[in-house]
Amino acid sequence: MGMTITEKIMARTSGRDQVKPGELVWVDINTVMTMDYLGKQCFTKFRSLGKSEVFDKDRVICVSDHLVPPPNQKFATMLNEWREVVREHDITHFYDLGRQGIAHQIMVEQGHVLPGTVSIGTDSHANTYGAVGAVGNAVGVTDAAVAMATGKAWFRVPEAVKFNITGTWQPWIMAKDLSLHIMGMMHWNGHLIYKTLEFTGPAISALDMAGRMTLCNMTVDLGAKNGIVAPDQVTVDYLSGVAKGEWEMLDSDEDAHYEAVYEVDVTNVGPTVALPDKLDDTVPVEKVVGTKFNKAFVGTCTNGRLEDLAIMAQILKDKQIHRDINMIVVPASQTVYLDALRAGYLETLIEAGAAIDTPSCASCAGIHTGVAGDGDIVLSAGNRNMKGRMGSKNAQIYLTSPAVVAASSVTGVITDPRTFN
Amino acid sequence: MIRGKCWVADDYVMAYNIIIQEYWISPINPEENSKWVMAGVKEEFNKENGFKDGGYTFIVAAHNFAGGGKSIEHVITGLMGAGIKAVFADSFARLQFRNAINYGLPFVTSKDIAKGCNTGDELEYDPSTGNITNLTTNKSFNSVPAAPFVAEVESAGGLMNFVRDKIAKGQPIG
Repeated sequence: MGMTITEKIMARTSGRDQVKPGELVWVDINTVMTMDYLGKQCFTKFRSLGKSEVFDKDRVICVSDHLVPPPNQKFATMLNEWREVVREHDITHFYDLGRQGIAHQIMVEQGHVLPGTVSIGTDSHANTYGAVGAVGNAVGVTDAAVAMATGKAWFRVPEAVKFNITGTWQPWIMAKDLSLHIMGMMHWNGHLIYKTLEFTGPAISALDMAGRMTLCNMTVDLGAKNGIVAPDQVTVDYLSGVAKGEWEMLDSDEDAHYEAVYEVDVTNVGPTVALPDKLDDTVPVEKVVGTKFNKAFVGTCTNGRLEDLAIMAQILKDKQIHRDINMIVVPASQTVYLDALRAGYLETLIEAGAAIDTPSCASCAGIHTGVAGDGDIVLSAGNRNMKGRMGSKNAQIYLTSPAVVAASSVTGVITDPRTFN
Repeated sequence: MIRGKCWVADDYVMAYNIIIQEYWISPINPEENSKWVMAGVKEEFNKENGFKDGGYTFIVAAHNFAGGGKSIEHVITGLMGAGIKAVFADSFARLQFRNAINYGLPFVTSKDIAKGCNTGDELEYDPSTGNITNLTTNKSFNSVPAAPFVAEVESAGGLMNFVRDKIAKGQPIG
């Protein structure tokens, strides 16, 4: 019996020739990431294991993303304590305010995630790392502390489910639309809990790294253990010059076992919107065209990349955002920020009337800048829309792609970017 | 054998509602996290010690308990601090299932249990057999026994103790 790519990664990182779903293995991790609001507790727990030096100071990645820049004294003090503990442990890669970004963006863009390896992080969207053919997994502070001490993490080898994506991407259709489409297809009903989701097929080969990151990012919201795209030329080109370490190309065997295989023809996937409160309550944009909203948000580890800002700039060129709409755009990292600035995208967005905020998780988690208040209706390109996610429980959040957000922000109502002029 | 009163979820329970946003940045500490645990699940729990004062030992839930994302351990420490000794459900969200294992809090998969219990019923759980008895209604339920690794971590009192012990003895952890 052949193995899936995830099984192969778990086998090679646990020193075995073969692993099977259900088996428990301790794997060698490539990197462990933690962030500002949980990081200090990781280090405290790590110290309580009787260690003072991390397993490899080049492979414990520290990022400030949820609290920067601090909007209040409490966050400022937490950040100071965080900086102190990172320095104390002489961590090589510390992406603090000024060099910051959303941790998952930083991990991939700075080459801390490598194909064929395992990386873990103390934030649920660590599934993003699957985009480069790694096993990316979200863990708690305990697992991170153990990994910092030992370089290892335990895993139950997951059963696999394949999504074979065929057809051709239509104009203005983004990976986010496919993500939301799959969310609507599979629901939050537990079918995919604990599974590894593998994305293959011609439409995945045609997808850029930004899109692969969006797709893998949201697999956590399907309940999956990880989402993964096998490395190909897109991966090689992306990692060239940034990869921090050696890696190898792995792919699933022809005779690997999948619990289920789903076929999706992306030609038929249109702009997709998740209605407020439930991520799996998705509809084609046509069903909600004309719906009023007052806040627009594009950023996050799901959709804050250069390609996302590029499509927005394309739509908003020489246009004006509706006067009743407040739009906040947050590049996912300082690198994305600078690239978007140099490409002229930010100029276009600012001229159109968008506010650009410094890279951070921003209002996505509802604890930082640009939060939603009572009565707000937010059209967001983020990843979660449950009540209170972005702030007030009396706000509504529609989730969709950056293209839909951009087109809609001009008209002031939800708009199909395919028919927008 | 563990015995006590259960609280039965009447709907899908998300991690988000077990620990609401304003407490995500609190220190991970059972005493502290338990004060506002479950605050988003029901209005009656949205006050200091609102859930804890119910004196529950078990939670009985349906599918995907503690789902909706969030890897924060406050969810587990909050429940433990409130006196919860085991959670029974059809299925569990993986992030918190993992955290529960790491803390040695049994998250026990048991089909149909949600249909056979009401809040306030007295339950008895035998971790060695996986048998759950509802003493109020005299109904019994089976559960999936813990995997050997999970049982080992549980008996060590959690992953930290398990790993600390291995490190102290100079033994490999896996």
